[in-house]
Amino acid sequence: MPPEVGAPARDDLAALKGLDALDTPTAAASPRWRRALAVGLPPLVALVLFIAVWQVVWASAITSEYQVPAPIAVWQEFLAIVADGRVASILWTSISRAFLGFAVALVIATPLGLLVAKVRVVRAAIGPLLSGLQSLPSVAWVPAAVLWFGLTDATIYFVVLAGSIPSIANGLVAGIDQIPPILPRVGTVLGARGLTGARHILLPAALPGYLAGCKQGWAFSWRSLMAAEIIAAGPLLGFGLGAYLKEGSDFSNMPEVIAAIFLILIVGIGIELLVFRPVERRVLRVRGLAGA
Amino acid sequence: MTTTLERTVRAVPAAVKLTAVGKTFGTGTGAVTALRGIDLAVRPGEFVCVLGASGCGKSTLLNLIAGLDAPSTGTVAVHSSRPSVMFQEAALLPWLTAGRNVELPLQLAGVGRRERRERAAGLLELVRLEGQGGKRPHELSGGMRQRVALARALASATGTGAEEPGLLLMDEPFAALDAITRDVLQGELLRVREATGTTIVFVTHDVREAVRLAERVVLLSSRPGTVVREWTVDGDRERLHDTITGELRQVISSHAA
Repeated sequence: MPPEVGAPARDDLAALKGLDALDTPTAAASPRWRRALAVGLPPLVALVLFIAVWQVVWASAITSEYQVPAPIAVWQEFLAIVADGRVASILWTSISRAFLGFAVALVIATPLGLLVAKVRVVRAAIGPLLSGLQSLPSVAWVPAAVLWFGLTDATIYFVVLAGSIPSIANGLVAGIDQIPPILPRVGTVLGARGLTGARHILLPAALPGYLAGCKQGWAFSWRSLMAAEIIAAGPLLGFGLGAYLKEGSDFSNMPEVIAAIFLILIVGIGIELLVFRPVERRVLRVRGLAGA
Repeated sequence: MTTTLERTVRAVPAAVKLTAVGKTFGTGTGAVTALRGIDLAVRPGEFVCVLGASGCGKSTLLNLIAGLDAPSTGTVAVHSSRPSVMFQEAALLPWLTAGRNVELPLQLAGVGRRERRERAAGLLELVRLEGQGGKRPHELSGGMRQRVALARALASATGTGAEEPGLLLMDEPFAALDAITRDVLQGELLRVREATGTTIVFVTHDVREAVRLAERVVLLSSRPGTVVREWTVDGDRERLHDTITGELRQVISSHAA
């Protein structure tokens, strides 16, 4: 027979504290510099190797100069646009467009995702379309957008939105679908219904999936932006990275083309590493989901 | 075969009163009757264990009392502040600290920040987790999580600040814990209940747990769930345990064919 009700509490308390101490999960931590080394070193080595191979290919002269320029030529091209200050305006034009487009996409896609996830009729009606749109390359929108809006910023933003909204909305839908069913029930029991429930339970619970969607949405909006900037060029449009790349191509200036490609890549990776990675890592770590 | 014990209406209004409650899921030939003709009254401050084998509709019964589901027939009357529910899993919100989990029902009830901080700290102390409020659910053991859930349920039961002791519905809350932790937490639940005077309806399939915790044990049959018998727990618990186990076996064997 288990101990009687109201038995001396001291033993119970000691047993409870002992159990707590024994059962509490422990986490092992490795030193910070070692983790930094493990994360930072491999890509650095890969980069050095890549440039080395590139240098060798160029030096061996198996391809012509206008196809594969020397790494140093690309570097000098980059230094040139830094020196005349063009790099700042080029980057600012493209990054501000991408961010503005992404921000607007967030504002539109979040309620849209909520509706698709929670309202059955809406999901049946536009759910498949939304996932279908994700696999439609947003470049395909550029010709149509040029005819609708002409060579203006509206064209650029339309293409960016068309690229990123489906990703973000689908991410939110997936995030909500993956919520353990017990959490909304707990929310109801605790008194969170309707919009309060969405704010306190649904959105925070769906946050990991939502963030993954945002990350993908950013990648899509950056990609769409570059496609739009390369294809749609005109006096009314600012001079962004895509236009810079197009300019290099038009003048058969291979170092400029390569420099532009690298810049596009660096911005894309940089935003991911500086903005999305830290946020995502924090969200996952708080929930005990992060491996790192 | 509703051999229910009718409880006469008392001067004190019951905290929970079920009258001829039935619940059927689905319609037509595929319909499943989970509960039939349930009459049950729980006094304020009483600890009732609803005992039954799998498929007896224990959880359905709890959902009906909690208002998560509506009965097909009969009436469910709850005279208490909003009933709070504890599940088999702690179901803490993983993005909130233990303390903020306890605060959430108070926040939803519109309690001010300072007051809910204080009350959450007090409740965590009640479940002997003082000073652990800053930890995240994944940093706590299963038993500690379930105690945070208990503190949260108590916060929810008294969310509106009403002085009434509140109603706590527990759906096999210790079933997923190891035997030692379960034993200790059963003791803790009794202690907390003594301190708060909460009315508790506790669903379990464990006869020993029911006999240890409850003042009254209600045995449900399976498919459909009906009240078979009920016992008031006093005196020789060991003998009562054997009696109830025998009865439960009989209920289960009647499904063999």
